[in-house]
Amino acid sequence: MSTVAANSMAPASGEIRLVNLTKTFGASNAVENINLTIPHGSYCCLLGPSGCGKTTILRMIAGHETPTSGEIYIGSDMVVGKPPVERGTAMMFQSYALFPHLTILDNVAFYLKMRNVGKEERRAKAEEMLKRVQLHALKDRMPAQLSGGQQQRVALARSLITNPKVLLLDEPLSALDEFLRLRMRGELKSLQNELGITFVHVTHTQPEAIALANMVVVMDTGRIDQADTANVIFNRPTTPYVARFMGGQNVLTGAVNGKADGRIKLKGANGAVFEAAMKEPTPAEGAPLSFAVRRDRIKLRKNRDVKAATATNEIKGVVESTEYQGSYVKVTIDLGGGVFVANLPDGDYFADPVDKGDAVIATWNTADVNILAKVDSGVAGDPYLNANH
Amino acid sequence: MAASQSYGPRPWTFYVLATLFTLFVIFLYGPMIAILVLSFQGPSASLVFPLREPSLMWFDELFSPRRTGDVVGAFNRSMPLAIIVMFLTVLISVTAGFAFRRRFLGSSLIFYTAIASLIVPGLVLSIGLLVTFRFFGIPAAWYSSALGAHLSWTLPFGLLIMFAVLGRLNPSYEEAAHDLGASRWQSVKSVVIPIVFPGMIAVALFGFTLSYDEFPRSWLTVGSRNTLPLEIWTMTTNVTSPALYALGTVTTVVSFAVIALALGSIIIIQRRRAGRK
Repeated sequence: MSTVAANSMAPASGEIRLVNLTKTFGASNAVENINLTIPHGSYCCLLGPSGCGKTTILRMIAGHETPTSGEIYIGSDMVVGKPPVERGTAMMFQSYALFPHLTILDNVAFYLKMRNVGKEERRAKAEEMLKRVQLHALKDRMPAQLSGGQQQRVALARSLITNPKVLLLDEPLSALDEFLRLRMRGELKSLQNELGITFVHVTHTQPEAIALANMVVVMDTGRIDQADTANVIFNRPTTPYVARFMGGQNVLTGAVNGKADGRIKLKGANGAVFEAAMKEPTPAEGAPLSFAVRRDRIKLRKNRDVKAATATNEIKGVVESTEYQGSYVKVTIDLGGGVFVANLPDGDYFADPVDKGDAVIATWNTADVNILAKVDSGVAGDPYLNANH
Repeated sequence: MAASQSYGPRPWTFYVLATLFTLFVIFLYGPMIAILVLSFQGPSASLVFPLREPSLMWFDELFSPRRTGDVVGAFNRSMPLAIIVMFLTVLISVTAGFAFRRRFLGSSLIFYTAIASLIVPGLVLSIGLLVTFRFFGIPAAWYSSALGAHLSWTLPFGLLIMFAVLGRLNPSYEEAAHDLGASRWQSVKSVVIPIVFPGMIAVALFGFTLSYDEFPRSWLTVGSRNTLPLEIWTMTTNVTSPALYALGTVTTVVSFAVIALALGSIIIIQRRRAGRK
């Protein structure tokens, strides 16, 4: 079977290019002037909270939604206005949208039937595709008789029989239970490796995006905040929003208070002093600057002398809650105007445990400080401000 | 039942409501059963109980009109009328249902205009229809003015059913079909129609039964030859034999047969979809 896939992908490129793409619903912009290139053969995750426009982008690539303005290129073709089949895309719907009145085999053969392929030939091809997703034994069942995971595989087979250059997946794992989700996640990844075509996968789940994608696009209300590899997105978020949305980060803000030896000194609230490596463009003296520190790079110690001033890269607070997570312990610290989280390795934590109400000092290394391109506005209404995920 | 055990003994309200419901069912089906039984009266019998010397003679009487009215003729008009109304109701309701899936200019106005004929008294509507037909010089008959009058009654029902059915239709089925290369017509033919087919049967059922036993909208509009409900009504005024009951039995059986056919086909389709063949 893999030869079929190889043949289909050889000539045509599945590179997707979005140019000044905008979609307006009524008075509101669902997607605002997006520019993005998804390389051929990549696994791209569009990540963001619901309503951020990620599904709208997917549907515009698929041809189920027409852009208000802008262009979409697949390979070298401008595809706006073309029907899905001519674009070389195939879409897997969130609800799978398997036709309830057709057997599994006829569902998979639907595309060939629409192209007037003879009954014998299309059934043979559909059976071959079903074998590939290991559902050949169920070919005469109706969709309602299948489990969620099986339905998803049928939907995959039905999409793949069109030999797409691009597979578009709309929250493909959201309807599955936790166990199945992890398994199907692995299957999607290996399928993409095997086919070598471009996958664009819409999700609102951060671990899903990090586990699957070699390109993560984080979106916020119709705009792209950051598009990069999963590793960069997770370790070097560029905005407070991305840092909070990806989770695992603390965002702090200070005013620039001196620059020396390739380092910036920052003055935070309550007399805290932070330090970060110099970054271009050099910030002006006194200007506010936000940075992120990973939760698992934080060290905690009990604060024996509450009056004492803190050293550089230290912050004082009171433990608000502790949550055991197996390999680590999540300690939430109230800074008296903000929340700070430290994920401590379980060994370290249990060597000197802290409890709710304990005064603590959190510290980190300058090397772990990641300066953000945008100043944290501390936005009210940002659901991720208190980062409880 | 396990459920009733876990809730303890039944409260007294259960028995009150159960009695009420039983009375309701008797009220609903009692008269029909009485007519069914009395239609088998013997030759010497009257229009009331008891049943003496059961026979089928009144059914025979029904189909050989010596004393009764033209029952067979009336049936031969009512049946085709009901079938034509059924087909037109399905055709118009389904296509209109598709049109109303998208908001268009004046859609609510058209919708309320269509629904309004549910409220207009049938007789008044019939008078208007008759006058209009006279004006245009078209003679009143079951296939012209009565057909129109019946459609004014069945279409709102059909439309409302199709709205409910198409409202539940997930648009991603059509998008999936489009994604798999189906043209608009192909996606309607191969995906939408099969999915909403049970709803179309329900519309057909409504169209047929509403037309088959329609009285007020037929009365003035059928012209000189009666449909079955009108014939029965005429018979109640001048026939005083159990043939009337026999007629009641026959028409009830026809109605039930149609309903059974419709519901049966819906159940078969749903079974097949669930995979229990």
